[in-house]
Amino acid sequence: MNPTYLRIDLVRQLRDGMYISFVIGLPVVMYVLFGTAFGAGSEAVGRGDTRFYVMTAMAAYGASIGATAIAASAAMEMLQGWGRQLALTPLRPPGFVATKVVVALTVSAVGALAVTVVGAATGAHASPPWVWPVTFLVTWLGSSLFALYGLVIAQLFHSETAIGVASASLVVWAFFGNLFVPLSGTVQQIARWTPMYGYAGLARWPQMQGVSPTGDFTDPMWALVLNWVAWAVIFAGLAVWATRRGRARQ
Amino acid sequence: MDVVSSSAPTLSLRGVRKVYPTSPAPVVAVDRIDLEVGAGEIVAVLGPNGAGKTTTLDMVLGLIAPTEGTVEVLGGTPESAARGGRVSAVLQSGGLLRDLTVGETVQAMAALHRAESRVESVMARAGVTELAKRKVRACSGGEQQRLRFALALLPDPQMLVLDEPTAGMDVGARRSFWETMHEETREGRTVLFATHYLEEAQSFAPRTVLIDRGRILADGPTAELRALVGDRSVVATVPGAEDGALDRLRAVPGVREVHREGDRVTVNGTSSDDVARLLLTQMGGHDLEIAAPTLESAFLTLTGEGEAR
Repeated sequence: MNPTYLRIDLVRQLRDGMYISFVIGLPVVMYVLFGTAFGAGSEAVGRGDTRFYVMTAMAAYGASIGATAIAASAAMEMLQGWGRQLALTPLRPPGFVATKVVVALTVSAVGALAVTVVGAATGAHASPPWVWPVTFLVTWLGSSLFALYGLVIAQLFHSETAIGVASASLVVWAFFGNLFVPLSGTVQQIARWTPMYGYAGLARWPQMQGVSPTGDFTDPMWALVLNWVAWAVIFAGLAVWATRRGRARQ
Repeated sequence: MDVVSSSAPTLSLRGVRKVYPTSPAPVVAVDRIDLEVGAGEIVAVLGPNGAGKTTTLDMVLGLIAPTEGTVEVLGGTPESAARGGRVSAVLQSGGLLRDLTVGETVQAMAALHRAESRVESVMARAGVTELAKRKVRACSGGEQQRLRFALALLPDPQMLVLDEPTAGMDVGARRSFWETMHEETREGRTVLFATHYLEEAQSFAPRTVLIDRGRILADGPTAELRALVGDRSVVATVPGAEDGALDRLRAVPGVREVHREGDRVTVNGTSSDDVARLLLTQMGGHDLEIAAPTLESAFLTLTGEGEAR
């Protein structure tokens, strides 16, 4: 990874208003709608309240969109032939992937932080206080999985449709990840194998310790960690493979 | 260093084939090409679209691997030569991020090549210093090509590979691009460039490799190649031209083909002066035009010869 290259790429993303409005605006609005306006609020759940629960879910969604959107911009780079240009430099595919993950992590930190700040301002509650920073850190760092996911989709589709495919499919994973409505029964059994399930469960761990909001089942931590790690390995492998493949085309 | 570079070729392709496994039938983009280029040579790869020029250059740069055969660049693999910056390229397709500025683009690539100290001089030489703050998307085709050229100069390469570097440029931009190139080759760089303009090969490359359908049709001094495809076409209006007149034209040595549409007579061949004289002085021809050989006619001539052998 090259620090100058990383800085220039990061500045380029942060001055693009579109990503920022989706990464910050959408999750914040959804939190305000579901977390406060529709009455969800101060009922105690785990180490916090319903508002904190919704805040974590939306922070996770924003962080994931940030990670995925940045990765989708990698699709445009490939489409514009930038990958061929990079192939003529000492930067290797793993270095390209690592650079993009760092850029995506920075943007997703902005997304998670925005919802967290709005949550704090609207009275989301959790105690003891360490639940706040730990929840934020897990939400933020865990979203790196979706930078890899976005890269895979981007490199496979190799065109502007990648952005649509990546963000549309993210809504599906977020549903199965328990971010929008609490799942139960067969749907929940299927959901455990999907990529956002482990991430969402871990982001909520400080508050919920794996207990579902309805209280009818509990996920052990090892299962959530295993889900995240397994999907990270799969996405990372696919991303490196697809980057190599992308260089040979056009 | 000198001993090495004079004994080993800068570039060597041996029996190189590239087959793309497309359906229904695989496409043979490059079909057994042998090519050697020595240090300091300037070689044009001339051919129509789809001849295999880009595929060949991509293999020289290590961007794609040949299906068969070997490619050796500066005594090593194409990949290591390109990554090490000993070979660099002006690529035909894209290769730029549209929302970066020109200056940021050069800095980013300079950082990857560890060539930060060369940024200023390279931008000046490629003529993009005044464009430093402009977004790439706001640059004209010629300006973007100058930027690509600046990127190619960054690693101070021994060999430059240019894939149709002037495509999409207007005449003025094209001329000034080649003037800049002339400056760079005085330093003894090897240059391999693809083009489909016969004129660019003629004015810039002492040696031309003519390729079509993945094969080398001719490889030699550009002047000889030009003589080889010396066909010109003479067109004139000859009122009341009848078959006897056409036979007189066919009898002129060097004439290959004569045909007529109404009063308009077209004569193809090498002896354009004799044909023109005959048409104007003895056959009452007027509105005479002589056209230089086009690449198309060059290929027709060469592929025709190839089939006859």
